[in-house]
Amino acid sequence: MHGASVISTMLLRLDKTDTRPLHEQVAGAIRRAIAEGECRAGDRLPSARDLSTALDINVNTVLRGLRELRDEGLLEFRRGRGITVTEGAARRSGLQIRVRELVAEASRLGYSRTDLIDMIRGIS
Amino acid sequence: MTHGDDGKHGDDGKAGGQGKAGSQGEGGDQGKAVGQGDGGDPGKTRDQGEGGGSGREARRGLVGSVVTVTAVTAVLAGLPWAAHDRLPGRLATHWSGGDVPDGSMPLWAASLFPAGVWLVIALALTVRPRRSRPAAHPWRAMTLAPTGVVLVGAQICVVRANLDHADWHAARQPLLGVVTLLFAAVAAAVAAWLLTPRGPAAPAAPAAAPALPEDERLVWFSRAANPWLQLLAAVTGLIAALALAALAAGLAAPAGLWPVCAVCAVTSLAGAVCSSVRATVSEAGLKVSFGPLGRPARHWPLAAIESARAEHRLPSQVGGWGYRLSGLGTTVMLRAGDCLVVRPRGRRTDFAVSVDDAERGAALLNALRGGKA
Repeated sequence: MHGASVISTMLLRLDKTDTRPLHEQVAGAIRRAIAEGECRAGDRLPSARDLSTALDINVNTVLRGLRELRDEGLLEFRRGRGITVTEGAARRSGLQIRVRELVAEASRLGYSRTDLIDMIRGIS
Repeated sequence: MTHGDDGKHGDDGKAGGQGKAGSQGEGGDQGKAVGQGDGGDPGKTRDQGEGGGSGREARRGLVGSVVTVTAVTAVLAGLPWAAHDRLPGRLATHWSGGDVPDGSMPLWAASLFPAGVWLVIALALTVRPRRSRPAAHPWRAMTLAPTGVVLVGAQICVVRANLDHADWHAARQPLLGVVTLLFAAVAAAVAAWLLTPRGPAAPAAPAAAPALPEDERLVWFSRAANPWLQLLAAVTGLIAALALAALAAGLAAPAGLWPVCAVCAVTSLAGAVCSSVRATVSEAGLKVSFGPLGRPARHWPLAAIESARAEHRLPSQVGGWGYRLSGLGTTVMLRAGDCLVVRPRGRRTDFAVSVDDAERGAALLNALRGGKA
């Protein structure tokens, strides 16, 4: 019976000093959890309602964050199976985090996203 | 219940009883000490016991157990002997409702039989089948106290009923005694429940509480499910639905089908509620929700939790799967293995839930609690 039971566990970290919108923070926390191997491909996430109560964030805000992650290809919404982590999400989320850091750093230094894209294109 | 052959026989019985009682008491007490020591190595616990106050307490407990078991044995075996001048050769020992007895024993059997029953029960309750299994003493005391009262009371009733009769057929049913006996047994059980400390006297060592990152909010989720209970819930639910449909269509005799429908519906509901469990640790405390809908749920704010720890538990320790009450406190047991165990403030029993990664959950709970304090 031990081996047969479904087991899932996850630790989420939210930065208290973060000033970004809450839905981005939710997405960021889950992205980080995926990148750090907290949840693996095929794992089921806690339901949006559970996340909402535990994080003390409105359920619609949580859902918005989750949808962002689905659009990034990290999560899959499946009827009856809830929200699961996609194959290859770990690699993808790591890259996503770095891209976001790059965009944030660029904007701090006064470069727009277009400037950044041009820079990336310019790399030979 | 009786006695007989001669004094020698009885003395043998008593001596044997004392010897056995002694070894039982010892077994029981080691069990107690091990239970308090978090199910650790019994050798270790004994060593510790020789040193500090816990050792003295354990020894006092041991002496208490030996004295109690021996005293009850002596009373059971000795009572018919003490009055044997005024008793018939055979004692009436059984009444089937009527006033006239329908069962008897020679004096020696009436003396040794209850004493033997008592020793067997005491032995069965004190000796643990496995070392790893913590002794659940509230249940031991709660069983032993009323058992002792019933046996001693029954012995008194039997002797009184037979007193000054030449033949056991003349003995009358001690109705008043039996009623008094039942009340006394209940009172003994209640007293034992009130007087015994439940669970480990002090909560076992809580999980280490790592320093919390200042500017981070941590939330821990864990879940466990038991596919067998899910299957049970699904199958019984289906049977209940089919039975209901058959009843509605008038296909079957209602008298036979209603109980089936009701029993299956209840089993299905209970199975569904206990088939999966979710635990969440956040700044709001610990939340444990049951079943696919997350209802019902239990919640403890951080302030209501004294300590948290992870423990390895087996269904055999807590009496099976599901929502279990045992000597270890309340356990929501879905599978053998890791359990998150919390000691609610002001309580003497633990609440445990079998979820994965309990060590981290317990550590976070302790850290959050520490941070709040």
